[in-house]
Order: sequence, then structure tokens, then C-alpha cells
Amino acid sequence: MWEAIQGRRSIRSFRSDLVPEDLIRKLILEAGIWAPSGGNAQTWRFVVVTDHDLIRKIRMVAPGILGNPPAVIVICQDLDEAERKGSKLGRDVLSLMDTVLAAQNIMLTAHEQGLGTCHVASFHAGALQKIVGLPASIVPQLLMSLGYPNIKTQAQKRNSKVVWFNGYSQEG
Amino acid sequence: MDTHKKDELEQEFSELACYMVTSARNLIQENKLYGPLRLVDAVSRLVDVLEKLDLKSPRLEVIQGRIKDGEDTVMESEEKFTAFLENLVMDLVPLMQDRK
Repeated sequence: MWEAIQGRRSIRSFRSDLVPEDLIRKLILEAGIWAPSGGNAQTWRFVVVTDHDLIRKIRMVAPGILGNPPAVIVICQDLDEAERKGSKLGRDVLSLMDTVLAAQNIMLTAHEQGLGTCHVASFHAGALQKIVGLPASIVPQLLMSLGYPNIKTQAQKRNSKVVWFNGYSQEG
Repeated sequence: MDTHKKDELEQEFSELACYMVTSARNLIQENKLYGPLRLVDAVSRLVDVLEKLDLKSPRLEVIQGRIKDGEDTVMESEEKFTAFLENLVMDLVPLMQDRK
């Protein structure tokens, strides 16, 4: 687990090898949806895109996707259902948290499987809904590039002065 | 230019235009460094388009190579990204003087 957490990198250059659909399904169904979910809402929805032409269209409205990933996972939330289950907090806050928690599970497991990922928030949600055919209530919250890494990247430095026990202090 | 090539050209540039327009919209609310990042990334994508149209050239390849090598510095620090852009400009000047 420590290796996966500290070894995972955001990958922005991919080999052209396709990722087996069964493996992508497994990443979602045996890792993603096992993430904690606020109020056990589980209102996440995952649209896997492996069609080359569709990925091209997605890249037009998702400037944050760099490189040419052979697969993109569009992680969405059914916001109507999220509101029914969790009221305003569920719709506006918990759904986003759930999306990120599921994404992290997928990214760590993908790393363990030799895959690279990059989570992308820079996209136009409305345009993406049209391209992927999502109804209004199914809102994309995060994109994930997925593929076999083309390059190895170095970890960025971490700031370790971010932890306090038993109360915050201004002093380091 | 034959019709097929013309259609391909129109498609490629339309996709690039869509990418740039979406970037413009999203940049209003994004990290200020993503503006210059999207610009140089658009240059790299433009070079890809030109290559598909058999319009590649050694200096365009150099420009794209420098961009691909350095654009990730945006994730490291503003100083490193700024230095990458500064060096990129200075490296391009002699290439631009090669105009025939």
C-alpha cells in the first residue's frame, strides 16, 4: 500500500497499447466503488471511453488531458439522486468527495497493475455531457486518463510541515 | 490540394480551435499558470497537425520537442515554469532567423 501511494505519479504520456476493458471494469468495480461514500449514497457513475474518435472529441473540450491516453474514465455523479439521498450537502459536497475517493482507489490500483493515470479537472462539463450523451442530472466531475506509461516521472517534493497534534499552532 | 486533404485539414484545425476556445473559457477560473501552459500546448498540437499534413520541418520539431520536455515544469514551481518559457523564447529566436 505504501509503495502504491508513494510510487503513483500523474502520467501525461502514454504508450499506444490498449488497456483491456475487463481490467478497466475490474478497476472500477473492485476498487472504485469500494471507496467510502458519504451517507452511503453511491451515486457515482463511470463512463469508460476507449473509442479513439470519441477520445479525440473529449480532448477538444478537456484541455487538461495531455498526451494521448488510450482510455478515459468520465467519473460522474447523479446529482438528483445525490440530493434525494443527502440533501444539499450530498449534492454539493459529498458527491464531489465520493468522486475523488473512488478516483484515488482506481488510481492506486491502476498503478499496482502497471498502468498510469492522471486525474483531470480542466474540462467543460456541459460540452462533455453532450459528447458522451449524458442526461442533465448525470454530471461529470472528474476525468481520468488511463494507459500504460510512456515515461517515468519524478515525485514532486512534499511539504511535511502540515501536521499538528492536539491543536493547531502558528509555530512550526 | 485534393478534397480529402482539405477535409482532413478542416477537421484537424476545427479540433484545435475547439480546444483553444474551451481553454479560454476554463482559464477564467483556473490557475494563472495554465494560461501560458495552454498556449504552448496549443503550439505543440499545431505542430502535430502540420505533421499529419506533411508540413513538418526540423525547426518545428525542435520547438515541439522543447515544449514537451519542459511543459511539465508547471507542476513543479512557478520559477521553473517561467525559466522554461524564458529559455524557450531565447532558443526560438535563432530558429526564427533561419527564414528563407
